[in-house]
Amino acid sequence: MYQFDMRRIKEYSFLGVICILSFLMIFPLFHIIFTVFADGIGTLVSTGPVFITGTLDEGGIGPAILGTIILAFFASLIGIPIAFAVGVYAYEYPHSVIGKATTALLEITQEFPTILVGLFVTQILVLPMGTYSAIAGAFALAIILMPYVAVYTKEAMSQIPFTFREAAFSIGVPKVKTVFLIIAPIAKRGILTGLLISVAKVAGETAPLLFTAGGLYQTYPDSLTQPVGAIPLLIYTLVQSPSPADHAMAWGASLVLLLIFLAAFIPLRLSIKEVRL
Amino acid sequence: MRTLKKFAKFDRFDFLTYPAVLFVFLLFTWMLVVYVTNSIPAFQREGWNVYFTNVWNASECPDKEYYGILAAIWGSLYTSIIALLVALPLSISYSIFVVDYAPKRLRGILEITSDIMAGLPTIIYGIWGAFFLVPFLKEWVMMPVYDYLSFIPIFSQKPVSGFSFFSAGVLLGIMITPFVSAVVREAYATIPHTYREAAYSLGLTRYEATKILVGYVKPAMISGTILGFGRAIGETVAVSLVVGNAFNVSADPFSPGYTISSLIATQYGNSFIYTHMTSVLYAAGLFLFLVGLVITLLGMYVLRRWKKNVSI
Repeated sequence: MYQFDMRRIKEYSFLGVICILSFLMIFPLFHIIFTVFADGIGTLVSTGPVFITGTLDEGGIGPAILGTIILAFFASLIGIPIAFAVGVYAYEYPHSVIGKATTALLEITQEFPTILVGLFVTQILVLPMGTYSAIAGAFALAIILMPYVAVYTKEAMSQIPFTFREAAFSIGVPKVKTVFLIIAPIAKRGILTGLLISVAKVAGETAPLLFTAGGLYQTYPDSLTQPVGAIPLLIYTLVQSPSPADHAMAWGASLVLLLIFLAAFIPLRLSIKEVRL
Repeated sequence: MRTLKKFAKFDRFDFLTYPAVLFVFLLFTWMLVVYVTNSIPAFQREGWNVYFTNVWNASECPDKEYYGILAAIWGSLYTSIIALLVALPLSISYSIFVVDYAPKRLRGILEITSDIMAGLPTIIYGIWGAFFLVPFLKEWVMMPVYDYLSFIPIFSQKPVSGFSFFSAGVLLGIMITPFVSAVVREAYATIPHTYREAAYSLGLTRYEATKILVGYVKPAMISGTILGFGRAIGETVAVSLVVGNAFNVSADPFSPGYTISSLIATQYGNSFIYTHMTSVLYAAGLFLFLVGLVITLLGMYVLRRWKKNVSI
Protein backbone atom coordinates (compact mmCIF):
# COMPACT_ATOMS: atom_id res chain seq x y z
CA MET A 1 0.00 0.00 0.00
CA TYR A 2 2.79 2.37 0.99
CA GLN A 3 4.68 1.64 -2.21
CA PHE A 4 1.61 2.35 -4.31
CA ASP A 5 1.22 5.76 -2.71
CA MET A 6 4.85 6.65 -3.29
CA ARG A 7 4.44 5.86 -6.96
CA ARG A 8 1.38 8.04 -7.15
CA ILE A 9 3.08 10.94 -5.43
CA LYS A 10 6.06 10.65 -7.75
CA GLU A 11 3.79 10.45 -10.75
CA TYR A 12 1.84 13.58 -9.94
CA SER A 13 4.81 15.62 -8.84
CA PHE A 14 6.56 14.61 -12.06
CA LEU A 15 3.64 15.74 -14.20
CA GLY A 16 3.40 18.95 -12.22
CA VAL A 17 7.08 19.76 -12.62
CA ILE A 18 6.99 19.01 -16.35
CA CYS A 19 4.01 21.31 -16.87
CA ILE A 20 5.45 24.13 -14.78
CA LEU A 21 8.86 24.01 -16.46
CA SER A 22 7.33 23.89 -19.95
CA PHE A 23 5.27 26.92 -19.07
CA LEU A 24 8.35 28.63 -17.64
CA MET A 25 10.19 28.05 -20.88
CA ILE A 26 7.73 29.98 -23.03
CA PHE A 27 6.78 32.52 -20.38
CA PRO A 28 9.73 34.88 -21.11
CA LEU A 29 8.53 35.39 -24.68
CA PHE A 30 5.12 36.58 -23.53
CA HIS A 31 6.69 38.75 -20.89
CA ILE A 32 9.06 40.25 -23.47
CA ILE A 33 6.22 40.99 -25.87
CA PHE A 34 4.15 42.48 -23.05
CA THR A 35 7.03 44.63 -21.75
CA VAL A 36 7.99 45.90 -25.18
CA PHE A 37 4.38 46.84 -25.88
CA ALA A 38 3.85 48.46 -22.49
CA ASP A 39 7.03 50.51 -22.63
CA GLY A 40 7.08 51.23 -26.33
CA ILE A 41 3.52 52.18 -27.07
CA GLY A 42 3.78 55.45 -25.10
CA THR A 43 6.65 56.70 -27.26
CA LEU A 44 4.91 55.61 -30.41
CA VAL A 45 1.62 57.30 -29.55
CA SER A 46 3.07 60.55 -28.20
CA THR A 47 5.35 61.01 -31.23
CA GLY A 48 2.80 59.90 -33.78
CA PRO A 49 3.65 59.11 -37.40
CA VAL A 50 6.86 61.15 -37.14
CA PHE A 51 8.33 58.22 -35.19
CA ILE A 52 8.27 56.12 -38.35
CA THR A 53 9.30 58.81 -40.82
CA GLY A 54 11.34 61.40 -38.92
CA THR A 55 15.06 61.55 -38.23
CA LEU A 56 16.47 61.10 -34.73
CA ASP A 57 16.42 64.84 -34.00
CA GLU A 58 12.75 64.98 -34.93
CA GLY A 59 12.14 62.06 -32.55
CA GLY A 60 11.86 59.40 -35.23
CA ILE A 61 13.68 56.33 -36.47
CA GLY A 62 13.00 56.71 -40.20
CA PRO A 63 16.62 56.43 -41.37
CA ALA A 64 17.09 53.30 -39.25
CA ILE A 65 14.03 51.63 -40.77
CA LEU A 66 15.19 52.49 -44.28
CA GLY A 67 18.70 51.32 -43.35
CA THR A 68 17.41 47.93 -42.22
CA ILE A 69 15.47 47.58 -45.48
CA ILE A 70 18.53 48.52 -47.56
CA LEU A 71 20.78 46.13 -45.63
CA ALA A 72 18.31 43.24 -45.87
CA PHE A 73 17.78 43.85 -49.58
CA PHE A 74 21.44 43.95 -50.53
CA ALA A 75 22.31 41.08 -48.19
CA SER A 76 19.69 39.02 -50.05
CA LEU A 77 21.00 40.19 -53.40
CA ILE A 78 24.53 39.05 -52.54
CA GLY A 79 23.74 36.01 -50.46
CA ILE A 80 20.73 34.30 -52.01
CA PRO A 81 22.09 33.36 -55.47
CA ILE A 82 25.26 31.87 -53.99
CA ALA A 83 23.39 30.15 -51.18
CA PHE A 84 20.80 28.75 -53.58
CA ALA A 85 23.53 27.20 -55.75
CA VAL A 86 25.24 25.75 -52.68
CA GLY A 87 21.95 24.33 -51.40
CA VAL A 88 21.23 22.75 -54.78
CA TYR A 89 24.71 21.26 -54.81
CA ALA A 90 24.31 19.80 -51.32
CA TYR A 91 20.95 18.34 -52.42
CA GLU A 92 22.36 16.82 -55.60
CA TYR A 93 25.46 15.24 -54.04
CA PRO A 94 24.54 14.28 -50.48
CA HIS A 95 26.99 11.38 -50.38
CA SER A 96 30.06 12.70 -52.19
CA VAL A 97 33.00 13.97 -50.16
CA ILE A 98 32.53 17.60 -51.16
CA GLY A 99 28.78 17.31 -50.65
CA LYS A 100 29.24 16.00 -47.10
CA ALA A 101 31.85 18.66 -46.38
CA THR A 102 29.47 21.33 -47.69
CA THR A 103 26.66 20.14 -45.43
CA ALA A 104 29.02 20.12 -42.45
CA LEU A 105 30.28 23.60 -43.30
CA LEU A 106 26.71 24.89 -43.51
CA GLU A 107 25.95 23.51 -40.05
CA ILE A 108 29.13 25.03 -38.63
CA THR A 109 28.46 28.45 -40.10
CA GLN A 110 24.89 28.44 -38.80
CA GLU A 111 26.29 28.14 -35.28
CA PHE A 112 29.11 30.59 -35.91
CA PRO A 113 29.40 33.61 -33.56
CA THR A 114 28.05 36.52 -35.62
CA ILE A 115 30.40 39.09 -34.09
CA LEU A 116 33.29 37.26 -35.77
CA VAL A 117 31.67 37.77 -39.16
CA GLY A 118 31.42 41.48 -38.42
CA LEU A 119 35.07 41.76 -37.43
CA PHE A 120 36.12 39.84 -40.54
CA VAL A 121 34.19 42.16 -42.86
CA THR A 122 35.64 45.16 -41.04
CA GLN A 123 39.10 43.88 -41.81
CA ILE A 124 38.51 43.10 -45.48
CA LEU A 125 36.09 45.90 -46.48
CA VAL A 126 35.82 48.71 -43.95
CA LEU A 127 39.54 49.27 -43.36
CA PRO A 128 40.49 49.26 -47.08
CA MET A 129 37.57 51.56 -47.92
CA GLY A 130 38.36 53.81 -44.98
CA THR A 131 34.73 54.18 -43.93
CA TYR A 132 31.78 52.24 -42.58
CA SER A 133 29.38 51.53 -45.39
CA ALA A 134 26.04 50.01 -46.28
CA ILE A 135 27.76 47.55 -48.59
CA ALA A 136 30.01 46.27 -45.79
CA GLY A 137 27.00 45.77 -43.52
CA ALA A 138 25.08 44.02 -46.28
CA PHE A 139 28.04 41.73 -46.99
CA ALA A 140 28.32 40.79 -43.31
CA LEU A 141 24.61 39.97 -43.21
CA ALA A 142 24.91 38.03 -46.47
CA ILE A 143 27.56 35.76 -44.93
CA ILE A 144 25.20 34.99 -42.06
CA LEU A 145 22.24 34.57 -44.42
CA MET A 146 23.88 32.06 -46.74
CA PRO A 147 23.95 28.89 -44.58
CA TYR A 148 20.28 29.32 -43.64
CA VAL A 149 19.14 29.77 -47.23
CA ALA A 150 21.29 26.87 -48.42
CA VAL A 151 19.95 24.50 -45.79
CA TYR A 152 16.35 25.49 -46.45
CA THR A 153 16.85 25.02 -50.19
CA LYS A 154 18.43 21.63 -49.69
CA GLU A 155 15.69 20.40 -47.38
CA ALA A 156 12.83 21.71 -49.48
CA MET A 157 14.23 19.96 -52.55
CA SER A 158 14.94 16.74 -50.67
CA GLN A 159 11.24 16.42 -49.95
CA ILE A 160 10.35 16.09 -53.62
CA PRO A 161 9.85 12.38 -54.44
CA PHE A 162 12.70 10.72 -56.29
CA THR A 163 10.34 9.50 -59.01
CA PHE A 164 10.17 13.02 -60.48
CA ARG A 165 13.90 12.87 -61.12
CA GLU A 166 13.64 9.41 -62.61
CA ALA A 167 10.85 10.54 -64.89
CA ALA A 168 12.89 13.52 -66.09
CA PHE A 169 16.03 11.47 -66.67
CA SER A 170 14.10 8.75 -68.48
CA ILE A 171 13.02 11.18 -71.19
CA GLY A 172 16.57 12.47 -71.52
CA VAL A 173 16.42 15.78 -69.66
CA PRO A 174 19.95 16.76 -68.60
CA LYS A 175 20.76 17.11 -64.92
CA VAL A 176 20.98 20.89 -64.92
CA LYS A 177 17.47 21.20 -66.39
CA THR A 178 16.05 18.50 -64.12
CA VAL A 179 17.26 20.26 -61.01
CA PHE A 180 16.71 23.89 -61.92
CA LEU A 181 13.62 23.64 -64.13
CA ILE A 182 11.75 20.66 -62.65
CA ILE A 183 12.70 19.96 -59.02
CA ALA A 184 13.27 23.57 -57.94
CA PRO A 185 9.90 24.85 -59.25
CA ILE A 186 8.09 21.96 -57.54
CA ALA A 187 9.85 22.83 -54.27
CA LYS A 188 9.24 26.55 -54.88
CA ARG A 189 6.99 27.07 -51.89
CA GLY A 190 9.37 25.52 -49.38
CA ILE A 191 12.36 27.33 -50.82
CA LEU A 192 10.64 30.73 -50.82
CA THR A 193 9.39 30.36 -47.25
CA GLY A 194 12.87 29.38 -46.16
CA LEU A 195 14.31 32.39 -47.94
CA LEU A 196 11.92 34.80 -46.26
CA ILE A 197 12.42 33.29 -42.78
CA SER A 198 16.18 33.59 -43.22
CA VAL A 199 15.92 37.22 -44.32
CA ALA A 200 13.57 38.03 -41.41
CA LYS A 201 16.05 36.49 -39.00
CA VAL A 202 19.08 38.22 -40.47
CA ALA A 203 17.37 41.64 -40.57
CA GLY A 204 17.22 41.53 -36.77
CA GLU A 205 20.95 40.89 -36.31
CA THR A 206 23.01 43.45 -34.43
CA ALA A 207 26.49 42.09 -33.79
CA PRO A 208 27.66 41.82 -37.44
CA LEU A 209 26.65 45.45 -38.05
CA LEU A 210 28.54 46.92 -35.09
CA PHE A 211 31.73 47.74 -36.97
CA THR A 212 30.49 47.51 -40.55
CA ALA A 213 27.32 49.58 -41.06
CA GLY A 214 28.40 52.44 -38.80
CA GLY A 215 25.02 53.98 -38.07
CA LEU A 216 23.27 56.99 -39.58
CA TYR A 217 20.23 58.44 -37.87
CA GLN A 218 20.14 62.19 -38.53
CA THR A 219 19.71 62.03 -42.30
CA TYR A 220 18.41 59.48 -44.74
CA PRO A 221 21.09 57.33 -46.42
CA ASP A 222 21.79 58.18 -50.06
CA SER A 223 24.82 56.09 -50.98
CA LEU A 224 25.86 52.47 -50.63
CA THR A 225 29.45 53.40 -49.83
CA GLN A 226 28.43 55.64 -46.92
CA PRO A 227 27.45 54.58 -43.39
CA VAL A 228 23.89 53.42 -42.87
CA GLY A 229 21.78 52.82 -39.76
CA ALA A 230 19.69 49.85 -38.71
CA ILE A 231 16.95 49.44 -36.10
CA PRO A 232 18.80 46.83 -33.96
CA LEU A 233 21.98 48.89 -34.07
CA LEU A 234 20.08 52.02 -33.04
CA ILE A 235 18.49 50.18 -30.10
CA TYR A 236 21.90 48.91 -29.00
CA THR A 237 23.31 52.45 -29.04
CA LEU A 238 20.31 53.99 -27.27
CA VAL A 239 20.19 51.39 -24.49
CA GLN A 240 23.77 52.20 -23.53
CA SER A 241 23.03 55.92 -23.26
CA PRO A 242 22.33 57.18 -19.73
CA SER A 243 19.43 59.44 -20.73
CA PRO A 244 15.85 58.26 -20.04
CA ALA A 245 14.67 59.98 -23.24
CA ASP A 246 17.00 57.71 -25.23
CA HIS A 247 15.65 54.70 -23.37
CA ALA A 248 12.12 55.68 -24.35
CA MET A 249 13.29 55.91 -27.97
CA ALA A 250 14.90 52.47 -27.60
CA TRP A 251 11.63 50.95 -26.39
CA GLY A 252 9.73 52.57 -29.25
CA ALA A 253 12.25 51.26 -31.77
CA SER A 254 12.06 47.80 -30.14
CA LEU A 255 8.30 47.81 -30.55
CA VAL A 256 8.65 48.65 -34.25
CA LEU A 257 11.26 45.92 -34.70
CA LEU A 258 9.15 43.39 -32.79
CA LEU A 259 6.04 44.20 -34.82
CA ILE A 260 7.93 43.89 -38.12
CA PHE A 261 9.45 40.60 -36.98
CA LEU A 262 6.21 39.07 -35.73
CA ALA A 263 4.27 40.23 -38.80
CA ALA A 264 6.83 38.57 -41.07
CA PHE A 265 7.65 35.49 -39.02
CA ILE A 266 4.31 34.17 -37.78
CA PRO A 267 2.56 33.79 -41.19
CA LEU A 268 5.71 32.22 -42.63
CA ARG A 269 6.05 29.86 -39.69
CA LEU A 270 2.39 28.83 -39.98
CA SER A 271 2.82 28.01 -43.66
CA ILE A 272 5.46 25.33 -43.04
CA LYS A 273 5.67 22.45 -40.63
CA GLU A 274 9.12 22.98 -39.23
CA VAL A 275 11.87 25.54 -39.23
CA ARG A 276 15.61 25.10 -39.18
CA LEU A 277 17.06 27.06 -36.33
CA MET B 1 41.53 10.37 -73.72
CA ARG B 2 40.97 9.49 -70.10
CA THR B 3 41.24 13.10 -68.99
CA LEU B 4 38.76 14.09 -71.65
CA LYS B 5 36.29 11.52 -70.37
CA LYS B 6 36.77 12.74 -66.84
CA PHE B 7 36.19 16.25 -68.02
CA ALA B 8 33.02 15.25 -69.80
CA LYS B 9 31.56 14.27 -66.44
CA PHE B 10 31.60 17.97 -65.62
CA ASP B 11 28.26 19.03 -67.05
CA ARG B 12 26.57 22.40 -66.92
CA PHE B 13 25.14 21.66 -63.48
CA ASP B 14 28.62 21.48 -62.02
CA PHE B 15 29.69 24.63 -63.81
CA LEU B 16 26.78 26.45 -62.23
CA THR B 17 27.16 25.17 -58.68
CA TYR B 18 30.87 24.48 -58.15
CA PRO B 19 31.93 28.15 -58.10
CA ALA B 20 29.39 28.89 -55.35
CA VAL B 21 30.54 25.94 -53.25
CA LEU B 22 34.14 26.93 -53.80
CA PHE B 23 33.34 30.50 -52.82
CA VAL B 24 31.76 29.43 -49.54
CA PHE B 25 34.74 27.26 -48.63
CA LEU B 26 37.19 30.01 -49.59
CA LEU B 27 35.26 32.55 -47.55
CA PHE B 28 35.47 30.37 -44.46
CA THR B 29 39.18 29.74 -44.95
CA TRP B 30 39.74 33.42 -45.62
CA MET B 31 38.06 34.22 -42.31
CA LEU B 32 40.36 31.85 -40.46
CA VAL B 33 43.37 33.34 -42.25
CA VAL B 34 42.33 36.89 -41.36
CA TYR B 35 42.01 35.97 -37.68
CA VAL B 36 45.32 34.09 -37.59
CA THR B 37 47.36 36.73 -39.41
CA ASN B 38 45.91 39.61 -37.43
CA SER B 39 46.52 37.97 -34.08
CA ILE B 40 50.15 37.02 -34.80
CA PRO B 41 51.53 40.40 -33.55
CA ALA B 42 49.83 39.86 -30.20
CA PHE B 43 51.32 36.38 -29.84
CA GLN B 44 54.75 37.62 -30.86
CA ARG B 45 54.62 40.37 -28.30
CA GLU B 46 53.05 38.61 -25.35
CA GLY B 47 53.04 34.89 -26.14
CA TRP B 48 50.39 32.79 -24.41
CA ASN B 49 50.01 35.49 -21.78
CA VAL B 50 47.36 36.95 -24.07
CA TYR B 51 45.08 34.14 -22.96
CA PHE B 52 46.36 33.41 -19.48
CA THR B 53 46.72 36.75 -17.73
CA ASN B 54 44.13 39.20 -16.55
CA VAL B 55 45.49 42.67 -17.31
CA TRP B 56 44.15 45.45 -19.47
CA ASN B 57 46.63 48.29 -19.65
CA ALA B 58 45.41 50.50 -22.45
CA SER B 59 47.94 53.28 -22.61
CA GLU B 60 48.84 56.13 -24.92
CA CYS B 61 52.42 54.97 -24.68
CA PRO B 62 52.80 51.74 -26.72
CA ASP B 63 55.50 50.34 -24.42
CA LYS B 64 53.21 50.35 -21.43
CA GLU B 65 50.37 48.57 -23.23
CA TYR B 66 49.72 45.04 -22.04
CA TYR B 67 46.65 42.91 -22.47
CA GLY B 68 45.48 39.54 -21.22
CA ILE B 69 41.95 38.34 -21.85
CA LEU B 70 41.69 35.70 -19.13
CA ALA B 71 38.76 37.58 -17.57
CA ALA B 72 36.83 37.44 -20.84
CA ILE B 73 37.52 33.72 -21.33
CA TRP B 74 36.46 33.02 -17.76
CA GLY B 75 33.31 35.10 -18.21
CA SER B 76 32.37 33.34 -21.43
CA LEU B 77 32.70 29.92 -19.82
CA TYR B 78 30.97 30.95 -16.59
CA THR B 79 27.97 32.61 -18.24
CA SER B 80 27.57 29.75 -20.73
CA ILE B 81 27.57 27.16 -17.95
CA ILE B 82 24.94 29.11 -16.00
CA ALA B 83 22.98 29.34 -19.25
CA LEU B 84 23.06 25.57 -19.67
CA LEU B 85 21.96 25.03 -16.07
CA VAL B 86 18.93 27.20 -16.86
CA ALA B 87 18.27 25.81 -20.33
CA LEU B 88 18.62 22.06 -19.76
CA PRO B 89 15.78 21.41 -17.28
CA LEU B 90 13.52 23.72 -19.28
CA SER B 91 14.20 22.16 -22.64
CA ILE B 92 14.02 18.56 -21.43
CA SER B 93 10.69 19.16 -19.68
CA TYR B 94 9.41 21.04 -22.68
CA SER B 95 10.37 18.22 -25.04
CA ILE B 96 8.69 15.59 -22.89
CA PHE B 97 5.58 17.73 -22.45
CA VAL B 98 5.25 18.60 -26.13
CA VAL B 99 5.82 15.07 -27.42
CA ASP B 100 3.96 13.01 -24.81
CA TYR B 101 1.40 15.01 -22.92
CA ALA B 102 0.35 18.22 -24.63
CA PRO B 103 -3.01 18.16 -26.44
CA LYS B 104 -2.57 18.56 -30.17
CA ARG B 105 -3.61 22.19 -30.31
CA LEU B 106 -1.44 23.25 -27.37
CA ARG B 107 1.41 21.34 -28.96
CA GLY B 108 1.22 23.47 -32.09
CA ILE B 109 1.17 26.67 -30.06
CA LEU B 110 4.13 25.57 -27.98
CA GLU B 111 6.16 24.67 -31.04
CA ILE B 112 5.46 27.98 -32.74
CA THR B 113 6.27 29.90 -29.55
CA SER B 114 9.58 28.11 -29.30
CA ASP B 115 10.40 28.89 -32.93
CA ILE B 116 9.56 32.56 -32.43
CA MET B 117 11.87 32.62 -29.41
CA ALA B 118 14.65 31.15 -31.52
CA GLY B 119 14.22 33.75 -34.25
CA LEU B 120 13.50 36.81 -32.09
CA PRO B 121 16.11 39.55 -32.69
CA THR B 122 18.69 39.23 -29.92
CA ILE B 123 18.66 42.96 -29.28
CA ILE B 124 15.08 42.61 -28.01
CA TYR B 125 16.30 40.05 -25.46
CA GLY B 126 19.03 42.58 -24.71
CA ILE B 127 16.77 45.55 -23.96
CA TRP B 128 14.41 43.35 -21.95
CA GLY B 129 17.37 41.93 -20.07
CA ALA B 130 18.91 45.29 -19.28
CA PHE B 131 15.73 47.07 -18.20
CA PHE B 132 13.63 44.28 -16.72
CA LEU B 133 15.57 41.08 -16.01
CA VAL B 134 18.60 42.65 -14.28
CA PRO B 135 16.60 44.72 -11.75
CA PHE B 136 14.21 41.79 -11.26
CA LEU B 137 16.98 39.28 -10.54
CA LYS B 138 18.75 41.74 -8.26
CA GLU B 139 15.63 42.35 -6.23
CA TRP B 140 14.30 38.80 -6.06
CA VAL B 141 17.34 36.53 -6.33
CA MET B 142 20.60 38.30 -5.63
CA MET B 143 19.57 40.30 -2.56
CA PRO B 144 17.76 37.40 -0.84
CA VAL B 145 20.71 35.09 -1.54
CA TYR B 146 23.09 37.70 -0.13
CA ASP B 147 20.89 38.25 2.91
CA TYR B 148 20.53 34.62 3.84
CA LEU B 149 23.46 32.78 2.28
CA SER B 150 26.31 35.27 2.54
CA PHE B 151 28.21 32.83 4.79
CA ILE B 152 28.99 30.88 1.59
CA PRO B 153 32.22 32.47 0.27
CA ILE B 154 31.09 33.05 -3.33
CA PHE B 155 28.00 34.96 -2.16
CA SER B 156 29.81 37.07 0.43
CA GLN B 157 29.99 40.25 -1.68
CA LYS B 158 26.98 42.50 -1.72
CA PRO B 159 25.58 42.63 -5.28
CA VAL B 160 26.01 46.20 -6.47
CA SER B 161 24.29 46.84 -9.77
CA GLY B 162 22.77 43.53 -10.77
CA PHE B 163 24.75 43.50 -14.01
CA SER B 164 26.64 40.26 -13.52
CA PHE B 165 27.65 36.79 -14.73
CA PHE B 166 24.42 35.51 -13.22
CA SER B 167 22.14 37.94 -15.09
CA ALA B 168 23.96 37.24 -18.35
CA GLY B 169 23.76 33.49 -17.72
CA VAL B 170 20.03 33.55 -17.07
CA LEU B 171 19.36 35.69 -20.13
CA LEU B 172 21.53 33.41 -22.27
CA GLY B 173 19.73 30.41 -20.81
CA ILE B 174 16.39 31.83 -21.94
CA MET B 175 17.84 32.55 -25.38
CA ILE B 176 19.40 29.12 -26.01
CA THR B 177 16.51 27.05 -24.62
CA PRO B 178 14.70 26.87 -27.99
CA PHE B 179 17.87 25.67 -29.72
CA VAL B 180 18.59 22.98 -27.13
CA SER B 181 14.98 21.84 -27.03
CA ALA B 182 14.80 21.63 -30.83
CA VAL B 183 17.52 18.96 -30.74
CA VAL B 184 16.07 17.12 -27.75
CA ARG B 185 12.49 17.31 -29.00
CA GLU B 186 13.38 15.98 -32.43
CA ALA B 187 15.22 13.04 -30.92
CA TYR B 188 12.53 12.33 -28.32
CA ALA B 189 9.83 12.32 -30.98
CA THR B 190 11.64 9.64 -32.99
CA ILE B 191 11.31 7.04 -30.23
CA PRO B 192 8.94 4.48 -31.73
CA HIS B 193 5.47 4.23 -30.31
CA THR B 194 5.95 0.54 -29.55
CA TYR B 195 8.54 1.43 -26.92
CA ARG B 196 5.98 3.53 -25.11
CA GLU B 197 3.36 0.79 -25.41
CA ALA B 198 5.84 -1.73 -24.07
CA ALA B 199 6.63 0.49 -21.10
CA TYR B 200 2.97 1.03 -20.25
CA SER B 201 2.09 -2.62 -20.76
CA LEU B 202 4.40 -3.44 -17.87
CA GLY B 203 2.20 -1.27 -15.70
CA LEU B 204 4.73 1.54 -15.36
CA THR B 205 3.54 4.96 -14.35
CA ARG B 206 4.10 7.83 -16.74
CA TYR B 207 7.02 8.97 -14.62
CA GLU B 208 8.71 5.57 -14.79
CA ALA B 209 8.05 5.20 -18.51
CA THR B 210 9.44 8.65 -19.24
CA LYS B 211 12.55 7.87 -17.22
CA ILE B 212 13.24 4.90 -19.48
CA LEU B 213 12.48 6.82 -22.68
CA VAL B 214 14.66 9.75 -21.66
CA GLY B 215 17.59 7.39 -21.17
CA TYR B 216 17.16 6.42 -24.79
CA VAL B 217 17.80 9.98 -26.08
CA LYS B 218 20.72 10.78 -23.77
CA PRO B 219 23.20 11.27 -26.65
CA ALA B 220 20.82 13.79 -28.23
CA MET B 221 20.72 15.64 -24.94
CA ILE B 222 24.50 15.71 -24.81
CA SER B 223 24.58 16.98 -28.37
CA GLY B 224 21.93 19.61 -27.61
CA THR B 225 23.95 20.70 -24.59
CA ILE B 226 27.11 21.07 -26.63
CA LEU B 227 25.36 23.00 -29.40
CA GLY B 228 23.61 25.20 -26.83
CA PHE B 229 26.97 25.93 -25.24
CA GLY B 230 28.27 26.97 -28.67
CA ARG B 231 25.34 29.34 -29.15
CA ALA B 232 25.77 30.81 -25.68
CA ILE B 233 29.48 31.45 -26.01
CA GLY B 234 29.04 33.29 -29.31
CA GLU B 235 26.13 35.54 -28.35
CA THR B 236 27.17 39.19 -28.29
CA VAL B 237 24.84 42.15 -27.93
CA ALA B 238 22.35 40.85 -25.38
CA VAL B 239 25.18 39.67 -23.16
CA SER B 240 27.20 42.85 -23.44
CA LEU B 241 24.17 44.82 -22.24
CA VAL B 242 23.74 42.79 -19.04
CA VAL B 243 27.11 41.31 -18.07
CA GLY B 244 28.48 44.57 -16.66
CA ASN B 245 31.67 44.75 -18.72
CA ALA B 246 34.36 44.66 -16.05
CA PHE B 247 37.66 42.76 -16.02
CA ASN B 248 36.99 40.33 -13.26
CA VAL B 249 37.98 36.72 -12.68
CA SER B 250 35.78 35.80 -9.78
CA ALA B 251 33.63 32.83 -8.82
CA ASP B 252 31.06 35.22 -7.38
CA PRO B 253 28.16 34.91 -9.83
CA PHE B 254 26.74 38.28 -8.78
CA SER B 255 29.80 40.29 -9.72
CA PRO B 256 30.14 42.02 -13.09
CA GLY B 257 32.38 40.51 -15.76
CA TYR B 258 33.22 40.31 -19.43
CA THR B 259 32.76 37.73 -22.14
CA ILE B 260 34.97 37.36 -25.21
CA SER B 261 32.27 38.57 -27.57
CA SER B 262 31.26 41.51 -25.38
CA LEU B 263 34.93 42.43 -25.01
CA ILE B 264 35.23 42.63 -28.78
CA ALA B 265 31.96 44.50 -29.12
CA THR B 266 32.84 47.16 -26.55
CA GLN B 267 36.58 47.57 -27.17
CA TYR B 268 37.08 47.12 -30.91
CA GLY B 269 35.52 50.47 -31.81
CA ASN B 270 38.18 52.47 -30.00
CA SER B 271 41.05 50.01 -30.29
CA PHE B 272 42.61 51.86 -33.22
CA ILE B 273 43.87 54.70 -31.04
CA TYR B 274 46.15 52.17 -29.33
CA THR B 275 49.04 50.39 -30.98
CA HIS B 276 48.64 46.81 -29.81
CA MET B 277 45.02 46.41 -28.77
CA THR B 278 43.53 45.50 -32.16
CA SER B 279 45.74 42.47 -32.52
CA VAL B 280 44.79 41.26 -29.04
CA LEU B 281 41.13 41.52 -29.95
CA TYR B 282 41.75 39.43 -33.07
CA ALA B 283 43.49 36.89 -30.84
CA ALA B 284 40.36 36.88 -28.68
CA GLY B 285 38.30 36.38 -31.85
CA LEU B 286 40.56 33.52 -32.89
CA PHE B 287 39.97 31.84 -29.55
CA LEU B 288 36.21 32.18 -30.00
CA PHE B 289 36.52 30.96 -33.59
CA LEU B 290 38.39 27.78 -32.63
CA VAL B 291 36.30 27.02 -29.55
CA GLY B 292 33.12 27.49 -31.57
CA LEU B 293 34.44 25.25 -34.33
CA VAL B 294 35.47 22.44 -31.97
CA ILE B 295 32.23 22.62 -30.00
CA THR B 296 30.02 22.54 -33.10
CA LEU B 297 31.95 19.65 -34.63
CA LEU B 298 31.75 17.73 -31.36
CA GLY B 299 28.01 18.31 -31.05
CA MET B 300 27.44 17.24 -34.66
CA TYR B 301 29.62 14.16 -34.18
CA VAL B 302 27.71 12.97 -31.11
CA LEU B 303 24.38 13.48 -32.87
CA ARG B 304 25.50 11.75 -36.08
CA ARG B 305 26.87 8.75 -34.21
CA TRP B 306 23.65 8.38 -32.28
CA LYS B 307 21.53 8.68 -35.42
CA LYS B 308 23.65 6.06 -37.13
CA ASN B 309 23.51 3.62 -34.25
CA VAL B 310 19.80 3.69 -33.59
CA SER B 311 17.85 1.74 -36.11
CA ILE B 312 14.29 2.92 -35.97
